[in-house]
Amino acid sequence: MGRWKLLTIHVTLIAIASMTLLPLAFMVNNIFRSNHEFYRSFFSVPDAVKGLASVTGSMASGDESPVEVDDQQGQTRRVPPDEAAGMYIQQIKRGPKMAWAVLRPYLINSLVVSLLTALGVCAIGSSTAYILSRYRFMGSRAALMMFIATMMFPGVLTLVPSFLLVKHLGLLNTYWAMILPYMAGGQVFAIFVFHSFFKGLPEDLFESARLDGAGHLRLYWNIVLPLSKPVFSVVIIMNVLGTWNNFLWPFITNTDGSHHVVSSGLFALATSAHAQNFSTMFAAYAISSVPLLILFVYATRPFIRGMTSGALKA
Amino acid sequence: MIRPNLRSTLGCYTIILPGIVLLLTFVYLPVVWAFSKSLYEFEVGGSARFVGLANYSEYLTLDPTCWPSVANMLMLTMFAVCVRLTLPLIVAKLIHSLPRERWRHFYRVTFLTPIVVPGVAVQLIWQGMIYSDQGMLNSLLRGLDLAGWTHGWLSDPHTALAAVMMVGFPFVGGFEVLIYYAGLSAIPDSVNEAALLEGCTGVSKFFRIDIPLILSQLKLILLLTIIGGMQGFEGLFILTRGGPGFKTTVPGLWMYFNAFSFQRMGYACAIGVLLFLAILTLTLLNLRYFKSAENVKGEA
Repeated sequence: MGRWKLLTIHVTLIAIASMTLLPLAFMVNNIFRSNHEFYRSFFSVPDAVKGLASVTGSMASGDESPVEVDDQQGQTRRVPPDEAAGMYIQQIKRGPKMAWAVLRPYLINSLVVSLLTALGVCAIGSSTAYILSRYRFMGSRAALMMFIATMMFPGVLTLVPSFLLVKHLGLLNTYWAMILPYMAGGQVFAIFVFHSFFKGLPEDLFESARLDGAGHLRLYWNIVLPLSKPVFSVVIIMNVLGTWNNFLWPFITNTDGSHHVVSSGLFALATSAHAQNFSTMFAAYAISSVPLLILFVYATRPFIRGMTSGALKA
Repeated sequence: MIRPNLRSTLGCYTIILPGIVLLLTFVYLPVVWAFSKSLYEFEVGGSARFVGLANYSEYLTLDPTCWPSVANMLMLTMFAVCVRLTLPLIVAKLIHSLPRERWRHFYRVTFLTPIVVPGVAVQLIWQGMIYSDQGMLNSLLRGLDLAGWTHGWLSDPHTALAAVMMVGFPFVGGFEVLIYYAGLSAIPDSVNEAALLEGCTGVSKFFRIDIPLILSQLKLILLLTIIGGMQGFEGLFILTRGGPGFKTTVPGLWMYFNAFSFQRMGYACAIGVLLFLAILTLTLLNLRYFKSAENVKGEA
């Protein structure tokens, strides 16, 4: 491939990537800007960051003359540079601090719900798929069809009746209102993926173990699990992504707001008095992305490998 | 696949039981309820009155939001189909054509990264940072001396629907890129070599070789986009709540409001059932059409 052609491809890709990431870059920038700055001009570096840089610069060069800083009440004061630096740092920290205070319970709820759901989906999904892929007994094909057929029912069909059901069972405003329906729905994709993988495992592996007298549990634990780590990572990641991003269901089933997860909590935040403080909101968006970012850093490689190896195909 | 003995069969049933129970309770029961409750008029906790198919006929003939909202839904879905079948595919093709694996990995990761931001946050960012009065779009226009063009993009009836469509620009989702990339990687080397020998390269190879061979990935994205477009309303709920007027209302959103704002549960269930039937029809048509397209390819 010619050098110019290669360069054109890189330039195009980088241009598209920056357009994709631009909103996120401005989000991060706005975490450190006051409403006043936001209204004054959209495209500029936070005053506090600029101020901190100039103050530390002059302090490093031994200049101790007082500088003018706007305090929290918006009044301009002349203070010595080290105190000014402290005030700037306070300004920088303000948004993230407020956002963290509000978001922390939501994050904990999200973690509890996502982890328990992923655990349940993995346990139930893989064991069901193991049985349905390795054994033929009365009803086994029907059971598999019953799972796969649910892909036909869109969420919009079951949203209202599911709410009625959860309310009927007295589960509103509990973790179970989220975990149980998520598990019931999430296991289907898991079974689909696990089933196609387990089917491909050679029967010899199981046969020799079975001759040694191993039961279902032993076979599952000692043979299936160690062989299917990559499949588990795809299932876990897809499941956590789905659970973490689901907004409507937690929003509906938390009628008193006591069990908000991150996404429904963000919306609650955006419709509360906090929404008046832009830096808090932008910090909240950023903080809400951190857990998935951590998951992403650890799991991209197996995830990309799992996706490209054809776990997903129509 | 083996046929287990009786004792072992009982074990099999025990192991698949929890999944089946969950499935029946939290998936199949709501499906049945969706149909049965759509025949009643009731509030949560109130007494139900049997009304037959009145909910359906009311929605289809009397409800003033019905056809405008269907039109909005179709516009949104068609737009989503157009951009999701093209832009991520072009990006995937560009990435795939790079010679070094290191760069290919870099770009795949770069385009996948934005999925860490929760969907709600994305909508709120577009609402509060890009479309707001002092937001990015209006600031950009003022900077270009086009102050007259500034707008309340989401509140102006003329621009609201277009503004909603443009959320997510430039529409290069990491998932789509990965799926198309997987398809392109799966094209056998022999095909690529044959194409090269025949002098089929660049754009002509893209249209004559690549696209026919990744038809199953295109089908997957088409299906997911249509299903998502017909039933999705979370974004609209966050961005505009269907307004101004009913300019950005879609049937799913109207279902939500009927259930959770107006307490008309039966009516909401009826809208849900109608949406389900529409989605099912389109899905079946889709699968059928594409199957025949693949058969044609096989025969050629």
